[in-house]
Amino acid sequence: MVLAFAAYPGLYRVLVNSPLSAEFVALLPRVETLVVVLFFALFAMSFDFVSGYTGYLSFGHAAFYGTGAYLVVLAANGVLAFTVPGTGVTLFGPETPFMLLLVLAGVAAAALALAIGSVSFRLSGVYFAMITLGFSQVLYVFVRDWDFVGSAPRDGVAVTGSLEGFEIGVPYVDSLTVSIGQLTGDSVEGLFGFVNLGPTEVSFYAVGAVVLVCYLAMQRLVHSPFGKVMIAIRENEERARAVGYDTYAYKLGAFVISGFFAGVAGALFAGFRRSVTPENGFYFLVAGDALLASIIGGFGTLAGPLYGRLFDEGVREFLSKEGGGGGLLPYLRANLGEGTMATELYNGLTFGEAIDTFLNGHAALYVGLLFVLFVLYVPNGLLGTVRDRLGGRVATVAPAHVRRWLK
Amino acid sequence: MSAVAALPVAASLGDVAVAPLLLDALVEFLSPTTLAEVLLRGLAEAGLYVMIAAGLTLVFGLMGVLNFAHGSLTMLGAYLGGLALVATVSQSSGPVARLLTFGVALVVAFGALAALGGALEVGLIRPIYDRPPLYQILLTFGLTLMLDELARIVVLFYGLQPTTVWQGVLGTKPAFLAGSVGLAGASVQGLELFQILFGALTVLGVHLFLTRTRYGLFVRAGSEDGEMLSALGVDVRRVFTVVFALGTGIAGAAGVLLAWDPAWGASVPLAAETLLPAFVVVIIGGLGTFRGTVVAALLVGFVDSTMTWWFQNYVDFTGLPEMTIFLILVAMLVVKPQGLYGVSEVGGH
Repeated sequence: MVLAFAAYPGLYRVLVNSPLSAEFVALLPRVETLVVVLFFALFAMSFDFVSGYTGYLSFGHAAFYGTGAYLVVLAANGVLAFTVPGTGVTLFGPETPFMLLLVLAGVAAAALALAIGSVSFRLSGVYFAMITLGFSQVLYVFVRDWDFVGSAPRDGVAVTGSLEGFEIGVPYVDSLTVSIGQLTGDSVEGLFGFVNLGPTEVSFYAVGAVVLVCYLAMQRLVHSPFGKVMIAIRENEERARAVGYDTYAYKLGAFVISGFFAGVAGALFAGFRRSVTPENGFYFLVAGDALLASIIGGFGTLAGPLYGRLFDEGVREFLSKEGGGGGLLPYLRANLGEGTMATELYNGLTFGEAIDTFLNGHAALYVGLLFVLFVLYVPNGLLGTVRDRLGGRVATVAPAHVRRWLK
Repeated sequence: MSAVAALPVAASLGDVAVAPLLLDALVEFLSPTTLAEVLLRGLAEAGLYVMIAAGLTLVFGLMGVLNFAHGSLTMLGAYLGGLALVATVSQSSGPVARLLTFGVALVVAFGALAALGGALEVGLIRPIYDRPPLYQILLTFGLTLMLDELARIVVLFYGLQPTTVWQGVLGTKPAFLAGSVGLAGASVQGLELFQILFGALTVLGVHLFLTRTRYGLFVRAGSEDGEMLSALGVDVRRVFTVVFALGTGIAGAAGVLLAWDPAWGASVPLAAETLLPAFVVVIIGGLGTFRGTVVAALLVGFVDSTMTWWFQNYVDFTGLPEMTIFLILVAMLVVKPQGLYGVSEVGGH
């Protein structure tokens, strides 16, 4: 799977330049979209880590994502600069290496998670979902109206301090770092003599590397004894407590770890986008999107949210207004011809207008419809269902299946 | 949280001596006129909140379904009612005719939303009662996405809304509701008195439904012990459908009232704007208890109006009222997790 993602940008370029160019442009998500998929998938995974594995629905998870994102932007603008006394090392400043900021964002989000979690885990079920929602909305309103953040906090903040991209890699070792960013960043030419990468592709690989490391870390935790206790809590908390586990500590631990990775995801998001608004950082519907990704991909499967988000973003881009990265509408406009588009369907509504009305930019409707269908008929999500069919995790079971097929 | 909340206050006051100013503010706040105004406004807010939250608490109390689509249903009610008002009220309509049209719009919205709610319950929610409560939250959340987007498509297609607030609907108010009235030395918006009236009617109506009707009896019995109720020969499924329809109907009626309020109006984001306060009220009151919901609506209404007054006069922080509401939610859950009148185990949560 990692290989498939790694090969995608190259494949995309080949396919887009192929004879079926128009079809592929319309159908395939852009590399830039995939970067968005990657860092949001990390956030959705961190949400799934706590909600899918312990069964506690953290509806205010956006608080941690927003914390990470705001921290990066504010640090880059020099608002938060803090110098450690005696050493001269600046934390949260424009000079701080981005890799360090990623970790600091995670730590800040984890500290917030510790504070919120220690209060919230006295509750369970709907009450837990509501108190986390309450905390995140308090923070949302606060950030939205706090003029420390920027002159117009309602509209969000953008990186104004520097024009350079944020660097992912080993701090202070220039040859091992690359810049990422939507508007700015490195491009690589002539790697191994033949690989040429644009800024977007470099960002894709750099963000992907961080996400991969985080995923592997969470994967390790889920399959450790710690993860087994989390699942035990989800399946039957009272029994887990009776066996002798301090379930409160385990739940809080899982919540803090999840908060850490959500903070990292938020920091990546701000690093790539170079701006953040209260609506795409702290608002409770951001956590709703993570929920969407988790359910479609498979609740309680760590890799599932990635596929869920890929699907979500793919549909959104496919039905998007702008023709920039393809999508259905520009494709139909270009290929159907005036006659078809002007055909009257019903009461003066032409075919073109119908597409414009029902498809253009209204992906949320179809994603919502699919989501409802998933909840009703595919409760285990994409990956969960595949695992059920195969009878185990894909990576462990697939080789045996393939071998049987080949015989 | 309090230290954080105090920050912008201190920042905005700057180097002005804080203590005398605070004292002045308190004196002005406690003067009879101000207090009466704030109380009445709080009562009006409470009337709105109780209308928004009543349906949610009915549905949760009986079925244990936390309906995330409740806000979207309120939003649909606002559009439907607003559409009926705009279509029927003309410039020459007198105040009585306008009030009558409002009544018709209320009935239309209630009926349409109740029918929709009943259909949703039968078609979507019924199949998943035996699953964990999480799935009902998820399902209704997905429903919200769809309803909001559908509304957005219709609004865009018919070009209903160049601005966020649907100005046409506001214009259908009778003149005496748009102006302010003098009452006990305080000046009150006519609309606020109207909202107090409707809040009281809702409370009375739901109370009578719960205590005087057969279905109300089933609801009270069902929230105590659903299995026993069905063992006694009551068709619980039909009770669920009726209560869900009733709950969404009230949400729709609340939407119509909101369409007349310049602070709310009919718009697609109204769904999220009403859903969150409704949750707050229901949770503070204790999930599934109607009495708690009424008390919580009053509490939230008064706090909201008080904070709005402080924000308008002394504290330079736009989000103050909204933030305080969520702070009450958090504080309540920390101090008394089951809410004001809630019992700890409702609907298997």
